[in-house]
Amino acid sequence: MSTPTLTKETETQTDPAAAAGKATTERNPVLSPSFGKTPAATLRRYVRQGGKAVWGAGAIILFLLLWELGPTYLAPASTRVFLPPLHEVLEALGTLIGNGQLQNHLAASLSRSASGFGIAVVTAVALGLLVAWYGALDRFLNPLLEVFRNTAALALLPVFTLLLGIGETSKISIVAYAAFFPVLLNTIAGVRTVDPLLVRAARSLGLSNFQLFQKVILPSAVPTIFTGIRMAGTSSILVLIAAEMVGAKAGLGYLIVNSQMSFLIPDMYAGILTVSLLGLLVNYLLVGVERHFSRWRTAVGSRTA
Amino acid sequence: MTSGTGPIPKISLQNITKKFTVRPSKGNPDGAVLTALDGISLDVSAGEFITLVGPSGSGKTTLLDLLAGLTKPDTGQVLVDGREVAGPGRDRAVVFQQYALFPWRTAAANVSFGLEGVGSDGKRYSRKERAEKAREYLELVGLGGFEDRYPHELSGGMKQRVAIARSLAYEPDILLMDEPFAALDAQTREQLQTELLRIWATTGKTIIFITHGIDEAVYLGQRVAVLSSRPGRLKEIVDIDLGARSGDEDVRSNPAFVEHRHKVWSLLHDEVRRAQEAGHAKIQPDGTAPDETRTITTGKAA
Repeated sequence: MSTPTLTKETETQTDPAAAAGKATTERNPVLSPSFGKTPAATLRRYVRQGGKAVWGAGAIILFLLLWELGPTYLAPASTRVFLPPLHEVLEALGTLIGNGQLQNHLAASLSRSASGFGIAVVTAVALGLLVAWYGALDRFLNPLLEVFRNTAALALLPVFTLLLGIGETSKISIVAYAAFFPVLLNTIAGVRTVDPLLVRAARSLGLSNFQLFQKVILPSAVPTIFTGIRMAGTSSILVLIAAEMVGAKAGLGYLIVNSQMSFLIPDMYAGILTVSLLGLLVNYLLVGVERHFSRWRTAVGSRTA
Repeated sequence: MTSGTGPIPKISLQNITKKFTVRPSKGNPDGAVLTALDGISLDVSAGEFITLVGPSGSGKTTLLDLLAGLTKPDTGQVLVDGREVAGPGRDRAVVFQQYALFPWRTAAANVSFGLEGVGSDGKRYSRKERAEKAREYLELVGLGGFEDRYPHELSGGMKQRVAIARSLAYEPDILLMDEPFAALDAQTREQLQTELLRIWATTGKTIIFITHGIDEAVYLGQRVAVLSSRPGRLKEIVDIDLGARSGDEDVRSNPAFVEHRHKVWSLLHDEVRRAQEAGHAKIQPDGTAPDETRTITTGKAA
């Protein structure tokens, strides 16, 4: 009950940095009000936050510096060819964007991983709900699912290529396959871990099986399902790049391998850089979605009876 | 306890027996049949507030499950308004000890849970009507202005208020409460007990309230039904007459209260010892339980 008054106090602070940290100050209202009362304290806080930001980005900055300076000053000339400094890679990236090549490859990769990922999410959630709901189906399917789950997706790449060719189908299929299992397992776990008391409460209200599923089991499993979806997003990109390296005419994996074979080393690094940025972006988006659906679970500490 | 004369009781338990098969274990390879309730007969009239006490394992929760329609008796009948209970229904609401709020729903959405879909009378509430009702009932339990809070943002006492509001919102005749205040601290519990009496007086519900606190049973109930240790039998029903319980006076130090309390305590005493010897000790001989701190000690003066 005392929370609203305390957060009001933090809102009146003139410190713009407080806005960024608002989410945390709201949760720890006791810690925040004493800060930002005097200019000196505000300054100290700026310096400390600035220091934190520099420290947090420090490793990345050092790495980029090493990449820029290392090939020129530390490595022998022969290595420099295979490890061009950062600015050359960025120039190559600029050229690839300028002539539209990168966009083409990116679009090819994105459409493949999106379709494979989409297929996987839809089928895995549906199957997961069925398996979790019907115990007999679970006992029947579980051993087989264990076998498949523990078979690395890339080990099956040759099989997919042999059966489905080197076209889009095989690539979308392998992405779907790789993304399928995290979603499936998390869906099953999510349904299984529904609080039995909530089921009892809903039953005492006379809910039918379908209503129980729709109103209690599904909403309570959603955060766990989204954790699986986030994991699937990461692995779908990973597998796709590998698949594109083996046999494709477009895509980021193709760009990387093809640049290597054409001795366009800066282009190769530009491709790699794009892959890691794409991975970061996808993960960031999916974490956001996951967090959105798990809002009600945030305060773990206050869940005690 | 005799039926047939006068109006039909709101709730009528007629010679209820309920057995459970215990799962086979190492010491007991065949499993065993455990009698939870044995020959319980009890009539509760409309608008009555009856509390149920009994040692751990006396089948209190089983009895409540039967009334809620979550299980069926092996023999005997559970009648509500003269009709046999066939399953859960919206004429009865259950309030659980652990609140059982849906954590993904706000307080208001939790309260309106029971109003969604088509009710037993075929009525369907619009979204606006549901929100209106939720606000009304949150107001009733003293939580006006907390409509948009999620359960994790509420204290234990507030959560139980929301749970009570949820049970009241779809307007059942009967409120079944399974140790609803046992997980709360002493102060909050006393506060909620007073509020429950107020709500009972306002709404005129029939309330069956299970507890393992003797003070709580005597304070709340018009009658206290004492169950024996396993197998649960109805040992005695104690009529409680404390006069009007409105106002701020300390009812618990009233000599009549102390006397009633002592009577229930004596009835429970042997049962508790027997239950302890049988290996389940949720309730102490002095009527308190390890997970429930005593609010006052006037009982010792008696």
